[in-house]
Amino acid sequence: MSPPSAWQLLRIWFGLGLQSFGGGAATLYLIRQAVVERHGWITEAEFTRDWSICQVAPGINLLGVTILIGWRIAGPLGVALTLLGLLLPSVTITVILTALYSRIQGLAVVHAALRGIVPATVGISLLLVLQLVRPLLTTSRGEGRSSLLVSWLLLAGSALLVALGHAPVVVVLSGTGAVSALFQWYRRRSSVPAERRS
Amino acid sequence: MIHPLIYFWLLLRASLITTGGSGNLPILHQDLLALGWATDRQFAEALAIGQISPGPTGLWVICLGYLTYGLPGSLMALVAITLPPLTVLAVDRLYRRIGDHPAVQGFVHGLSLAVAGIFLVVIAGLLRNNGVDGRSLVIVLVSLGLGLTRRVPVILIILLAALAGILLY
Repeated sequence: MSPPSAWQLLRIWFGLGLQSFGGGAATLYLIRQAVVERHGWITEAEFTRDWSICQVAPGINLLGVTILIGWRIAGPLGVALTLLGLLLPSVTITVILTALYSRIQGLAVVHAALRGIVPATVGISLLLVLQLVRPLLTTSRGEGRSSLLVSWLLLAGSALLVALGHAPVVVVLSGTGAVSALFQWYRRRSSVPAERRS
Repeated sequence: MIHPLIYFWLLLRASLITTGGSGNLPILHQDLLALGWATDRQFAEALAIGQISPGPTGLWVICLGYLTYGLPGSLMALVAITLPPLTVLAVDRLYRRIGDHPAVQGFVHGLSLAVAGIFLVVIAGLLRNNGVDGRSLVIVLVSLGLGLTRRVPVILIILLAALAGILLY
């Protein structure tokens, strides 16, 4: 497939940014459809690999995958164009919505609506936590009972340290990561000789 | 008074050391509330608007920026959430080399668990501040249930909840 012109690249990602109502999964689906299926700029395997790299990179995964794909298509210019295209429409609409909201937030009816919206946000956030945790625990279960137990302890421990101990979040995050790193390292080192013996 | 440089640094740091659009939430929540630069209510509002608006849900930080520090706040938030993902290019190179190491995989695993655990604490706080009663718990469960079906768009759930709020409160 021929590489796209700068204008085409910008236009396509602008369209993605504009259509991406409904959060991450919907947007990722649209991006994949555009760059893999419709235009064939990258292969399906590259797309999957890029997405998994973004899971461990800092910040918003969708921006990360946009950057990686932009880089593959057209280097630094590709990154600038795809980011601009994706963010311009969605950020503009987000700011306008927030501005509208802050104009009307004093109204009684808005207060009542918000008292309904906040619990809904909590419900949706719970769903998000479930989606975050499920693959992690599935991996641990596959590794055996001790891995699963450690994962549950890390999950509950980090929550309790912040909720009851009011520990600094940054410390809890890096501490939990470090404990898990040590555990995995130890587990693999001790399991290698066992595999060799069998 | 909000100090612009520190404010920007806190936004940037929270996104730099975490992954995902909401990974920065627990850190930001602690940092900004401690300084009195944001309230629980503003966090709840920003998350809700972030769910409704297009683009990655991580754009909720832009709403938070606007609600706490106006247009300059939203612009700083935009820069603060756009810069960290650029490091993906370096992570991509690095991961090719050391991604298979058990300690690296273990660290990422633990970090993700802690983000999820702390997330629970934060959303419990949001609910508590909004006022916990039978009605709000029903809305939590119904929206969780509707979300689990994967058939109902988030924007519709939010709109239904707004309607429920107007009718119930």
